[in-house]
Amino acid sequence: MKISLNWVKQYVDLDGLTMKDVVDALTMSGLEVGDVVDQTARYDKFVVADVVEKGKHPNADRLALCKVNDGAETLDVVCGAPNVEAGQKVAFAQVGSKLPRGGHKITKAKIRGVVSNGMICAEDELDIGDDHSGIIVLDPKLKTGTPLADALGLNDVLLEIETTPNRSDALSHYGVARDLSALFDRKLTKPTIALTEGKTPAKKFAEIAVLDPEHCPRYTATVVRGVEIKDSPDWLKNRLISIGARPINNVVDVTNFVLHEIGQPLHAFDLDRLAGKKIVVRKRKPEEKTFVTLDSQERKLDDEALMICDAERPVAVAGVMGGENSEVTPETTNVLIESAFFNPRSVRPTARKMALSTDSSYRFERGTDPDGTRWAAERAAQLIVETGGGEVAKGAIDVYPKKMKPKRVKFRSAQIKRILGYEIPKKDVVRIFRKLGFEIDDARGNDWTVLVPPFRHDIDREIDLIEEAARIYGYDLITPVERVAVPMISTVDQTAFADEIRAALSGIGFREILCNPLVSEREAELSGKSIPLQNPGTVDMSRLRTSLFAGMLSTIKRNVNVNERSLRLFEIGATFNARKDEIKSFDDFFEERRLAIAMTGDASKKTWRTEKRAYDVFDLKGALGAFSAALRLDNSLRDCYYDSGGRLFDHYFETKRGKTVVGYGGRVKREVAESFDVDQEVFFFELLIDELFAARKTDTRYAAPPRYPKVFKDAAFLLDASVKFEDVRNFIEKESSDLLKAVTLFDLFEGESIGAGKKSAALSFEFYDEGGTLTDDEVEKEFFSIIENVKTRFNAALRGGS
Amino acid sequence: MIDKIEAAKREFDHDADAVGDERALESFRVKFLSRNGIISKLFDEMKAAPNEEKPALGKALNQFRKGAEEKFTALEEKLQSDGEEDAVDLSLPGEPAFVGGKHILTQTIDSIKDIFKRMGFSVYEGPELESDYHNFEALNFPPDHPARDEQDTYFVNDKFLLRTHTSPVQIRLMQSTKPPVRAIMPGKVYRNEAINARSMNHFYQVEGLHVDTDVTFADLKSALMRFAAEFYGENSRYRFRASFFPFTEPSAEMDISCFLCGGEGCRVCKHTGWLEILGCGMVDPNVLKAVGYDPDVYSGYAFGMGVDRTALMRYAVPDIRVLYENDIRFLRQF
Repeated sequence: MKISLNWVKQYVDLDGLTMKDVVDALTMSGLEVGDVVDQTARYDKFVVADVVEKGKHPNADRLALCKVNDGAETLDVVCGAPNVEAGQKVAFAQVGSKLPRGGHKITKAKIRGVVSNGMICAEDELDIGDDHSGIIVLDPKLKTGTPLADALGLNDVLLEIETTPNRSDALSHYGVARDLSALFDRKLTKPTIALTEGKTPAKKFAEIAVLDPEHCPRYTATVVRGVEIKDSPDWLKNRLISIGARPINNVVDVTNFVLHEIGQPLHAFDLDRLAGKKIVVRKRKPEEKTFVTLDSQERKLDDEALMICDAERPVAVAGVMGGENSEVTPETTNVLIESAFFNPRSVRPTARKMALSTDSSYRFERGTDPDGTRWAAERAAQLIVETGGGEVAKGAIDVYPKKMKPKRVKFRSAQIKRILGYEIPKKDVVRIFRKLGFEIDDARGNDWTVLVPPFRHDIDREIDLIEEAARIYGYDLITPVERVAVPMISTVDQTAFADEIRAALSGIGFREILCNPLVSEREAELSGKSIPLQNPGTVDMSRLRTSLFAGMLSTIKRNVNVNERSLRLFEIGATFNARKDEIKSFDDFFEERRLAIAMTGDASKKTWRTEKRAYDVFDLKGALGAFSAALRLDNSLRDCYYDSGGRLFDHYFETKRGKTVVGYGGRVKREVAESFDVDQEVFFFELLIDELFAARKTDTRYAAPPRYPKVFKDAAFLLDASVKFEDVRNFIEKESSDLLKAVTLFDLFEGESIGAGKKSAALSFEFYDEGGTLTDDEVEKEFFSIIENVKTRFNAALRGGS
Repeated sequence: MIDKIEAAKREFDHDADAVGDERALESFRVKFLSRNGIISKLFDEMKAAPNEEKPALGKALNQFRKGAEEKFTALEEKLQSDGEEDAVDLSLPGEPAFVGGKHILTQTIDSIKDIFKRMGFSVYEGPELESDYHNFEALNFPPDHPARDEQDTYFVNDKFLLRTHTSPVQIRLMQSTKPPVRAIMPGKVYRNEAINARSMNHFYQVEGLHVDTDVTFADLKSALMRFAAEFYGENSRYRFRASFFPFTEPSAEMDISCFLCGGEGCRVCKHTGWLEILGCGMVDPNVLKAVGYDPDVYSGYAFGMGVDRTALMRYAVPDIRVLYENDIRFLRQF
């Protein structure tokens, strides 16, 4: 909301305060000032000047060389405008000034060989209009040398105030003035109404019927007859221009002026275009499907819309926008001014469903002053007569069946200390309340009843009054307390486990990524039953992710595109899967925290001493193993291998805990990777955080490191190619004694030299006895028993051993 | 004389063992094998020996000299070959190892968590797909109130939505715990906003809550100023200005003096000299009532800050979208 400080000064005296005082006080007390435009500063070095003489430019026919007196000296100035003449008073930009529009700096410059000491300005260059056909010719009565800002009334300061949704009372110049009067303890002055009314009562000219008093608690109208519709006088135009509103004609401008003055939205009807000279306030009728608003748009009406109608048809959408069928035109002579209080709960849904936010609806849906409608209607009538002649009919038509009373709020002054931890002196509280328009029934005791006027829709409770006292008094005056001790309560960190996971993965060389949980339908449906959004921003982000897969693949794509092809990445994030088509309760979907890890590109780069090698699924398995060890997971997790990995994977495996799948993944199928524009192999695995949490080792205790030497033995077996390593290892582990501590595979090959359908697997065995040093005999006995068992069980041949 | 030769031999063997480099080898040569060396001197001395002893001495000396010369050559070769075997160009590049790390936003959340944990705050999480009740109603947002417009919401339907702040975690926590409650809630939140350099449709927040029998606005100020001093440095200035949130009353926004201009006014702070860092206030009595706390017995403060904006300020990142592009070249910087 734009606020003109000159305008505010009409209602509150700000003498002796700097612009900074005012801006800081407003900002600190809740009316945050975003942007400040100080016009005086913008028009620095612009003055009223005299064109003393107009001569020809020696080198250019279209340019004139003028002698210009700027009040201090007479200067040579080159001017290209066709309308420049000697004897004119002009807007002159002195050397060193900066054009308000465009920011061009005026310097002493040679123009076609002649030095020009400044510039005579056109309207657009001064940012007061769009005309560039010639220079502005000023009032000849202006004194030469006067600062232009003063001469043109461009000495205003404009504030952009960001009003919070609770402060509907501050959506006007008078409202801002009210806060300033409390902040600086200044007098607040409301303009007085001095109407010269005609003899005939307004009721003779129009009739008003409110059929829906719940949504329209008050409807006030004044009638002005015999008005001339014309341009507004300069003062009125300038007020509106200063806050960025476009002047239209005197009647419309007056209604806009009053809205920005006091915050009451008004609407002017052409009384002669109202059928039956009647206003009926009622709900939309079923057959009234659309309505043409005064911006000539045919708009669909909300079922619940409250309509302003004449005897036959709707003429306005209540509180939102008037209709084209009854708006004021240049031919209008009789005007009915509507000044109503609409229920915020009626206007808001209507404006929202029509996707139409106007100055009126914005204020009505936040709450206007039900007690201010009459003042505003009369103020408008008076200004219309002042600007366009005519006569105000006697009295207003005021339908206000149930008068709203001030709210009575109990206030215990001791509560200020209890909530703020700071005492605000009682006299200050009393002063603040009174300046804000509240009445205190008896301020002598400690428990008061405060009467809050109905325009403060945000104040109903004691706590609201405490806030008013605090924000005007100043939060910065509240001294922070330094507490030595904090109460002893147990502390919990629900994020600790995720942090451990991040630390474990960072430690083995994975980078954390964070992706957008909103994905396209295609991405969401890749790996679950997805939940669509009712109001997505774009189709790319219309569903919640069902897994972290799509985000990971998209990230890989983005990096591969910039030729970062070797990646080890992880993400921890929420995933969302529907259990039912319609989400009615928390049971109809599940939100799960998951961990995704991915590897792609080179496991090792070609270096001067290492050969290049691409990642394969065994790197993924290895990384998962290292991760489990780093996270100290217990040994309840088992890997299960599958021939097929569904739509997304081949080389697929799962990690299970009992029957629960804790994680899954493998090599991403080529066509799936390609659908993400990734042209290289990707290894992906996704795990459920809650299941990992359940599998973490909770009883870690000291175990003595081995005291006696370990003994290693190797053996290579010739096996059928179909024999699975896991089966061999499980068999050996099952069949051998406690002395065997580990079996690892250190070589594997197939080839013609060992015969088709065969493979050679070289195993290393680790033996250890907790009880003492193993003898050669003990080891040999165990070792050969293993070899014989394997030979028998798997029909294997021993190729060698040591 | 023969004893002297034997002693010289022992000394020779001893010294030979100690030769470790070229310089030692040269002094070794000078000491034993040069013209004025021990062996030459022994030959000179032999001239003065009785004639009958000369053949035996000569034989012994010649053997000594031969052996010494062989030993010297061997030592020389060994030193040379040692040099060859161990010769490494250490300026060659090292073997690459994997480096991992946390996302810049996680790191920022970690710093915030660390500070509040030291001040005795717990850390809680909650669902991102929330009910309207937890996200709005229990937080004193009346249905169809303009305050809801401030938080452009992604809806799943009329009842479920993507949380617009982590405040629903406060509600869940208070509903399940008796006071005192002192906790922060980090997490992802969503707003249905256009994506550009300054705004994202999802981002991270850390909110906090402290409710007890005598918690005041003065406590709020001291806790948040302590946090800010640790997070942003001791030299910044702060101010609390009045604001509005449905779930707090009184409400405030906390500003820090602009890092860039120190409060003089610049483009970053829009010439105000201040940057907004968080919103806060005293928990609204309606919220306390909604979770079953008696507002005449308990009071407390709540606050919330945007992690992304904080990270952008902290690391001078000009565009919020960069945080979620996961460009490895960006992630490696932090």
